[in-house]
Amino acid sequence: MQKFTRIYLMMLALLVSQAVWAQHAVSGKVIGADDKQPIPGVNIVEKGTTSGTVTDLNGDFTISVPDDAVLVISSVGYVSQEISVGGRTTINISFVPDVKILEDVVVVGYGSQEKKDITGATVALKSEDFNQGIIASPEQLIQGRAAGVQITSSSGEPGAASNIRIRGTSSVNTGNGPLYVVDGVPLSNDDISPASNGQPIGDSPAKNPLNFLNPNDIASIDVLKDASATAIYGSRGANGVVMITTKSGRGNAKLDYSYNLGVSTITKKYDLLGKQEYLDTYGKFNPPDPKKPNDVPPAIKQDKGSNTDWQSQVLRTAITQGHNLSYGSGDKAGGDYRFSFGTLSQQGIIKKSDLVRYTARFNGTKKFIKDKLKVSTQLTVASTKDGNVPISSNSGYEGDLFSSAFKFNPSAPVRNPDGTYFQPGTDQPNPVAMLNLTKGYTNTLRSLGNFSAEYEFFKGFSFKTVLGFDRSTSSRKAAFSKDLVYNGIGGIGRLYINDVQTDNRLWENYFVYDTKIGERGTLKALLGYSYQSFGYSSQGFAFSNFRTNDLNIMINNYASAEKAVGTNSSDVKDELQSFYGRVNYSYHDRYIVTATLRADGSTKFGKNNRYGYFPSAAFKWRISEEEFMPKAFDEFSLRLGIGTTGNQNIPHNLFETRQRYSDNSINTDGNYQTGGLSNVAFANPNLKWESTTQTNIGIDYGFLDNRIRGSIDLYNKKTNNLLIQVTSAQPAVNAFVWKNLNADVINQGVEFTLEADAVANNNFKWTIAGNVAYNKNLVKNYNGIVDTGAINGQGLSGAFAERIANNQPLFAFYLRDFAGYDANGNSLYTGGDFQKFTGKSPLPKTTLGLTNNLKYKNFDLNIFFSGQFGQYIYNNTQNGYFTLGSIATGKNVTKDVVSGKEGILNAPDVSTRFLQNGSFLRLQNVTLGYNINFNSKYLSNIRLTLTGQSLFVITKYNGQDPEVSTNKQINGVPSAGIDYNAYPRARTITFGVSASF
Amino acid sequence: MKTNNKKFLLSMVLSLSMIASCTKLEPNEQDSIVIKESGSGTTSGDAVALLESSYKDLDAFCDQANLYAMYEHTSDELIPPTRGTDWGDNGVWRTLYSHTWDATHQQVRDNWNNLNSRSYKTNQVLAAGNVKPEQAAEAKFLRAFYMFYVMDLYGQVPFRAITDGVDVNPKVFSRSEAFDFIVKDLTEALPKLTSIGPKATNTTASKAAAYALLARLYLNKAVYTAASAEGPFTFAPADMTKVVEYCDLVTAEGFSLEGKDNYFNNFTLNAKNEIILTVRHDSGTPQNRIYMVLHYDQKPSGWNGFATLADFYNKFEDSDDRKHGKSPAAKGEDYYGIQRGFLEGQQYNDKGDPIINSRNNKPLAFTKDVTLSGASTEKGIRVMKYHPKDYDAGAQYVLLRYADVYLMKAEAIMRGGTGTPPALKMVNDLRDSRKASALTKLDEAAMLDERGRELYWEGLRRMDLIRFGKFNTTWSEKTNTEAFRNLFPIPQIAIDSNPNLKQNPGY
Repeated sequence: MQKFTRIYLMMLALLVSQAVWAQHAVSGKVIGADDKQPIPGVNIVEKGTTSGTVTDLNGDFTISVPDDAVLVISSVGYVSQEISVGGRTTINISFVPDVKILEDVVVVGYGSQEKKDITGATVALKSEDFNQGIIASPEQLIQGRAAGVQITSSSGEPGAASNIRIRGTSSVNTGNGPLYVVDGVPLSNDDISPASNGQPIGDSPAKNPLNFLNPNDIASIDVLKDASATAIYGSRGANGVVMITTKSGRGNAKLDYSYNLGVSTITKKYDLLGKQEYLDTYGKFNPPDPKKPNDVPPAIKQDKGSNTDWQSQVLRTAITQGHNLSYGSGDKAGGDYRFSFGTLSQQGIIKKSDLVRYTARFNGTKKFIKDKLKVSTQLTVASTKDGNVPISSNSGYEGDLFSSAFKFNPSAPVRNPDGTYFQPGTDQPNPVAMLNLTKGYTNTLRSLGNFSAEYEFFKGFSFKTVLGFDRSTSSRKAAFSKDLVYNGIGGIGRLYINDVQTDNRLWENYFVYDTKIGERGTLKALLGYSYQSFGYSSQGFAFSNFRTNDLNIMINNYASAEKAVGTNSSDVKDELQSFYGRVNYSYHDRYIVTATLRADGSTKFGKNNRYGYFPSAAFKWRISEEEFMPKAFDEFSLRLGIGTTGNQNIPHNLFETRQRYSDNSINTDGNYQTGGLSNVAFANPNLKWESTTQTNIGIDYGFLDNRIRGSIDLYNKKTNNLLIQVTSAQPAVNAFVWKNLNADVINQGVEFTLEADAVANNNFKWTIAGNVAYNKNLVKNYNGIVDTGAINGQGLSGAFAERIANNQPLFAFYLRDFAGYDANGNSLYTGGDFQKFTGKSPLPKTTLGLTNNLKYKNFDLNIFFSGQFGQYIYNNTQNGYFTLGSIATGKNVTKDVVSGKEGILNAPDVSTRFLQNGSFLRLQNVTLGYNINFNSKYLSNIRLTLTGQSLFVITKYNGQDPEVSTNKQINGVPSAGIDYNAYPRARTITFGVSASF
Repeated sequence: MKTNNKKFLLSMVLSLSMIASCTKLEPNEQDSIVIKESGSGTTSGDAVALLESSYKDLDAFCDQANLYAMYEHTSDELIPPTRGTDWGDNGVWRTLYSHTWDATHQQVRDNWNNLNSRSYKTNQVLAAGNVKPEQAAEAKFLRAFYMFYVMDLYGQVPFRAITDGVDVNPKVFSRSEAFDFIVKDLTEALPKLTSIGPKATNTTASKAAAYALLARLYLNKAVYTAASAEGPFTFAPADMTKVVEYCDLVTAEGFSLEGKDNYFNNFTLNAKNEIILTVRHDSGTPQNRIYMVLHYDQKPSGWNGFATLADFYNKFEDSDDRKHGKSPAAKGEDYYGIQRGFLEGQQYNDKGDPIINSRNNKPLAFTKDVTLSGASTEKGIRVMKYHPKDYDAGAQYVLLRYADVYLMKAEAIMRGGTGTPPALKMVNDLRDSRKASALTKLDEAAMLDERGRELYWEGLRRMDLIRFGKFNTTWSEKTNTEAFRNLFPIPQIAIDSNPNLKQNPGY
């Protein structure tokens, strides 16, 4: 808006004064082009003069102008028009909303601000910036699109959780993810679906709690990165804040329908030995006994007569379908509403794994009492069913589904001649048997909603109250038939039921005061109170010794089990009570100052430190508005911000000494084991927040009519008072206590964002958008040692690969230094048979995203690359399965194992032999779209799209996919960058059609 | 303006009502028991539940890792070979055998935590509001038992009183201070402990158990009160006499040696004469001792881990009951193929047929020779004291038995204690009931060997080797002779969290 006004003023200065014509009154009405409603407050100015008027409440205006005058019609949010009077006395104007202007608004905490007024480091992403294709959860929409925001899905499983890091990893033991705020309701960071722990095949994690949001319903995602933007969320803002805004009704009543059909296949299979190679290699290490020439040679015995590609047996081409239907309309004056319904049925590339989701949403707003009272509500209900397969993060040497598929004898048949599965022993599970003799699924029902009322007492002063709720119930069942030959399952059968319910409530109240100070200053103030409670309860059961092998009877007829035990249950509630305030002062639209303060009180912390205070301050100087700046700079601003935010993402009540009865179970012999009364926490009344102090310097720039625009940010984040489980000085009843460490985790980095409209014609547009971020992570002032990154495999109990220590990045790799093999084929290690720091870490140093957006007439093409560089990956799959000792004992391996100098008795200890460079560049998303515009009354347009996801990746990593992080935690300390039996990644081609009626 | 005033008033009322609705943020625990620590030292814990839990904690002795490994894998009677991809385990076993451990060794750390947290739980029993004198006596015995092993392994014992909060660093007893404290605990407990005679399942602390532990303490007193843990150790005759007294008190409680052919009864439910203390079956069992040695192709299918050294095996005469014992199962019954004692040579299945090693398709015969790394699956002679058939029947893991007490008395007399009969006769009487030939003379080497033959693989060997000054000599593939290794290092994380602990010399 500023720009337009200034241009006209400049033109005014150059104009020669016009001859004065005869004046007469012109009147008319301004009506919105989209909703046909009158628009008050529109400026009508006679061009070339300062005389003008404003439309009244009915959109009417009257102005006295010469006959040949030109009227300039302008208002915020609409495309300005110039209309020649041409002697008319009545002029009605159809005013078109300026969508581009609306896009310059960023949603921040408790409100929104225009981008030009934002003093913090933020990224605003609208639906056209989102990734396309089969997207199950919201964070996948913005993967790679925001500088400094690193999103990695932990595996390729449908519904898998994502790891999101904004400006590096700051915490050791607590959650590292950002705070999600959906339509103003902050979500709890807890999982809402159960994990499966302690089962024979191993542990698998809970699903992504954001799966309940249909990405199709999301209008925009704003990421708040630095402290001055996130400090308004105080104790939860240390890892950044992701603000999700759902779509509201706009414009005329519209019905939208879209349909997606996707086909997915595996990106890369393991290059295993074929049947003949396998038998030959096995025979080489198991030669016949020369003393017994009549015995069958071992290689012949190992040949079971068939030829099976086990990877293909468990993989499939997956089909995914999604439907979305929405109906809504809205105008600025009265209100808006929008209903939407969506279904997604996403198959995974491993058979029997899938995600089926139904969502229903309603958004509505209405104004009452002369538009002073605005009532609005947003409501989402989602029902999700995840089909689970037996893949785990810590299976032992027997393996889980995917690893059995690598190991199994390629000459073995799937079934015996009599139809039963070929199952030679508990240490060699048949993958197809594992798939078909087990059944697991998770059912989740979640509803998230809020109801708010905002009342404007007088112009600029309003009060808003919000009531929000977030409730879910989820049940996970895992049944293992007794026909499956596996330790702890064969002959008895097992069933595990885990249920989780969450109940989160929010009540928020705040005042907003918006006023002008003097001629050029504007002041915006916010003062509020918030109360939020988080309830979490769980129940678990285990059954065994079944009288049936029918999986459905096992699940739906519990009495078929002879042994049943309640493993455990829990019920906890946490509360958060806060007071917050923000002041925003802007002078002459070029000097902007923001200050915020939040006081949070939480039940998670001890009496002595229950409240924490989180201030921030920021300053922005819009240098481009200054007179001395050359006009070449459309935008050039300098931002400085500093603030303190907190992290309180730890489990419930760790500051009092508490005891609970630990889990009951049924052991492998079928005997009951009761848990004893033991401590779950040891008293520490001084337990308090982890705090992060962040400073940020940023520059926003724009040239050539904003055809080139972007920003540069430098930041320094120092996290102190790390919340961590430390070993209690023994003796103590509990080996661990939660404490605040006086250590620092420092993340320093720089982010570059650049967008360029390379070509912008009427027919052809080409926009390039790129972001690059560099981050350096270091632990300082820490005298202790924490080991993490458990490594599983034969002969690897107790092995670990990562260590957190002073002057190292978090999760630095701690390994023996592999130096080849000796004469006997046993591994040699430089410096000795012990582990040490390698100088390599799983945290990427550079992340990058590059988009090319091309539009030609009705076609558009979007090509998006994303990459991460500088990280290393420890290939636990290779460590556990692909060594020469494995093939000598009859387990299949990859081809590169056979050609090395390793001996068959070599112990594959944790070493740099399995550490690889994990840098990658991936063609993440390619979308080709075609718009067909109709002008009929019933159908306004149809859009066809063809999208390819994960088409190819360039990397040196020899595992299945470099974007991987299996949960290999030790004692609650998470790990990073370890690949173990991760669910493989898929390449997906999606065809989509959407229509607006 | 007036309307604005009214509106301001309304907004003030709103904000006041907001503040009035503030909560106190006190947690209200619905699913756990909160223990409020009061200053008087008593806690709201329940003595009965905590004492039962402390007994269950004795399962720490049944695991093959941690405590057992620190006593056996560091000795000359057990070797933990890395067999290809099996038992590599990040080198934890190899470093114990080669005496190359450091302060970050996982089992050194876990064992420290296990023992010290268990001894703290006994403090909680003693501080519980409803504790009875008999329960206090048993808790004191258990505290002494756990602290004994900490003192023996690490040489320093941290002690935390119930009233010490998180920020208090526990005080640390030196080795001799710990010795005095443990002796005091046992002496105070004795009057209220029960007198129980031998049974196969003696799971409660008794007078006999306390006497046995006191005998062990005094026998090793020279080691615990020496100026340096590296030695030399001088055994005071007065201490030796005390050992003899305590051993006689055990005998007076009704204990004696099992007779001929009955050596292995000690590890079954048929034990009649020797068993002083066992681990409750619902917490810890001898299961690990079975699985840790058996080959994958035997029944039950084991983990194919540890073996004994040929030099140790050669110390036995063939007639010795303790070397080999018959399987208790009948032909065709489960576990018929598993013998007792040392498993050497060809192994058989339940039907009596030779087993074929599926890893190399040759007959499965355990060999005498074995290497520490790169060993194939059949290398090494195995040890089977708890037979699978007896384990199935409910045999319990033995912590203290009379043969140990008997040999302690003989050793004490040998070292100058006053008592009868003479040491040589005592040892020969034992050998007689084990069907071994009589010795002609008894010196330290012979005493050490006899203790080895009687008590092999029962978790005591390191103690004996140190007392006889042989822990730092060399044996097959163990070449490290550093004398400071008589003590294990204090785990690095314990040092980091308690400034009162100072690292042991040499580490």
